[in-house]
Amino acid sequence: MIRRITAIVVNDVRIRFRRPSTAILFLLLSACAYMWVPAPSTGRTLLEINGQRAIYNSAAVGMGTASLATIFIGLIGFYVISNALRRDVSTRCGFVLASTGMRGGEYLFGKFAGNLAFLFTFIGGFMATSMLMQLVRGEAPLQPLVFAKQYLLLVVPGIVVVAAIAILFESIPWLSGRFGDVVYFFVWMASIGVVAAMTDKSAQSLHWIGIFDISGTGYLFESLRLTLHTNSVSIGSSTFDASKGVFVFAGLPSSFNLVVPRIGTCLLAAPILGVASLFFHRFDPARVRVTEKAKRNWIGRINALAKPFARMMFALAPSGGRASFARSIALDSMLTVSAMPIAFIAMIVFNVLSLVMPLKSVTGLLPIVFGALAITIADVACRESRAGTTALVRAAPQLRERFVIWKLLSSLVIGFAFFAGAIVRFALVRPAALGPLVIAIMFVCAAATMLGVVSANPKSFVVVFLLFWYVAMNDKGANPALDYAGLNGVTTPLVMTAYAALAIAFAAGAAAFHAFSLRRS
Amino acid sequence: MLSIESVSKRFRSGNYGVRNVSLNVSGVVGLLGPNGAGKTTLMQMIATITKPTSGRILFDGVDVVAKPDALRRRLGYLPQDFGVYDNLTAFEFLSYFAALKGVGGKQRVRELLEAVNLHTVANRAVGGFSGGMKQRLGIAQALIGNPDLVIVDEPTAGLDPEERVRFRNLLAEVGSGKLVILSTHVVSDVEAVANEIAIMKGGSLVAMGTPEELLRSAEGSVWAGVMASTELDVMRARLTISSAVRKADGVHLRVVSGEQPFAGAIAAEPTLEDAYLCTMTGRAA
Repeated sequence: MIRRITAIVVNDVRIRFRRPSTAILFLLLSACAYMWVPAPSTGRTLLEINGQRAIYNSAAVGMGTASLATIFIGLIGFYVISNALRRDVSTRCGFVLASTGMRGGEYLFGKFAGNLAFLFTFIGGFMATSMLMQLVRGEAPLQPLVFAKQYLLLVVPGIVVVAAIAILFESIPWLSGRFGDVVYFFVWMASIGVVAAMTDKSAQSLHWIGIFDISGTGYLFESLRLTLHTNSVSIGSSTFDASKGVFVFAGLPSSFNLVVPRIGTCLLAAPILGVASLFFHRFDPARVRVTEKAKRNWIGRINALAKPFARMMFALAPSGGRASFARSIALDSMLTVSAMPIAFIAMIVFNVLSLVMPLKSVTGLLPIVFGALAITIADVACRESRAGTTALVRAAPQLRERFVIWKLLSSLVIGFAFFAGAIVRFALVRPAALGPLVIAIMFVCAAATMLGVVSANPKSFVVVFLLFWYVAMNDKGANPALDYAGLNGVTTPLVMTAYAALAIAFAAGAAAFHAFSLRRS
Repeated sequence: MLSIESVSKRFRSGNYGVRNVSLNVSGVVGLLGPNGAGKTTLMQMIATITKPTSGRILFDGVDVVAKPDALRRRLGYLPQDFGVYDNLTAFEFLSYFAALKGVGGKQRVRELLEAVNLHTVANRAVGGFSGGMKQRLGIAQALIGNPDLVIVDEPTAGLDPEERVRFRNLLAEVGSGKLVILSTHVVSDVEAVANEIAIMKGGSLVAMGTPEELLRSAEGSVWAGVMASTELDVMRARLTISSAVRKADGVHLRVVSGEQPFAGAIAAEPTLEDAYLCTMTGRAA
């Protein structure tokens, strides 16, 4: 049994760590940490209380980067690991596994352990990178054990529970698709909300509800309240008053009252896996087939309802005549909408709202539109490789060599269709906001194209963009570098130039990768 | 000995995948039938992946529906459209399945890679393999536990003729002394290796026997003749044509028919392909 479980874990870790998207994600997370822990000489700091900043010792940098890691684990980690079972279904290797003497419980535990191994290794690497950052920016000697203790208390329970939830969601038919992805997002948000609400009301330490503190937010703020005696703490790139001096953060406390709920959170994995085993199909084709049907949830139904509208749009496509590159771009954009008709409805709704809502509300709406755009275009650049139609596309005129520019322009058509109302509105009322918005659309489309081409998987872009989107949303204009669309009004010409340059670099990177692939094939 | 007794599989939609199939399997058995005949569902039930709605499957006298582990320890299975984990090497891929099947040692993995002629690419990522190489890797994983029963489902689908022949020879070689069930809808795949052939249609077993028995059942129902190519379209609509070869004197036809199909047609010795067509069209004796 141990040998089988070990084989599953090693196999999963190998597969995941050999994907280019894992390296990209790691680099992005490390880049986020670099911004999260700014050099104090820039006037910004990692940990600040009433204008006073914490000195950069192992406890402060460890806690700060660990809190970023909890966001990653909660928000992104789930999406990264939630294909362990699906991979075995799609490759049909699951059928072979089912024909061996392996028990369903062994398989699920192996997959759970595989999720754990991946997340622990990933976060371990991130922690090592953060330690290096302390060596560069630190103001006190590196204490590896103190550093690791922050991660142990803050991140580990999240890793354990998210690894188990991913298995649960993959085992339950109606949660194993995109609907489950959406549900998980709300589960995670709710877990933060519940614990934060309890912490606000509690004068003492956390109660049993702390067990559900998956993100560690409740534990973090309760710990800071107890050690620093304040409810007003800012973590992650915030301004400080240099005249107020510094304080020393001694690290997260490990008192019995605080640690027991963290252990309890880890133990939550057991009942979650127990429920998963009740639903696990063990690759029975009859049940897997039901799973596929069950994916027609409310999103599927809305998609089905919207199909006639999407078909109408498709009917507008030019027919007959000679093939042209412009026609290929138009057809690919329409295919995107046709494949996801709900996007067509979203486009109409967003454009109408952008035209009729007060300008301030439009600015508030646009981040949501960026989210919808990201989900819609995530598979544009990789759908051929996923559907096995690459050879068909490469046989079409001009598309073999110009594949990247084709996909980029196709995504841009969708991007501008989503933002047409806002663009018109800004052009009429606030022309200065137009440039940043257009650059942001290009940036998002170029990033989707590059990650799609390189990883051949839409999830890479969705995951990376969600992380960026979440950090940017919650920054609320504190950091001009994160105001990618100028919606917080703090972006600068330099920042916009940087995003435009990034868009060009992404497109060039994708083109170089594609050219390399063509040479190899 | 594998014995299938009145096995049926009814899906939740109410449709039958397999209906009341009974057969005894020994040696190499070719399971023939068109797409949707129920071959895959039957094989999945034998492989203990899905349970029959009714009926029993006995392997050496043990009911494997009730006690699947009795068979799983002795089973090698290659499913239809078998995929691979692209990022793994052939050696890693095979080692993974070896570990899951409780087979120890790297030596066995190396032996199998050599047997399927993949030892020279053992350290290459399998994502870059051709369809034939992937199928050979698939048969290697099916054989890794030295199974007594090997089930291979449509193993030659999508392979080019050369790979097809190579795969067929490989199966004949490794299948000696084992119980092998090979499903396909290509008659020539089973012709060379199977000592018994079962034909399925619409979820039911419509014929079962040795190749000789099937050939005998088609005797008197196969006709050969030559006709003008201009008449071919009319004949295609009217007759079950087994083969049509254009030559200088016209089109040489082989036709499955209960009576002389056209003037000049003479009774011909049936091939297995003809026998299969006879069974499918209900003209077998």
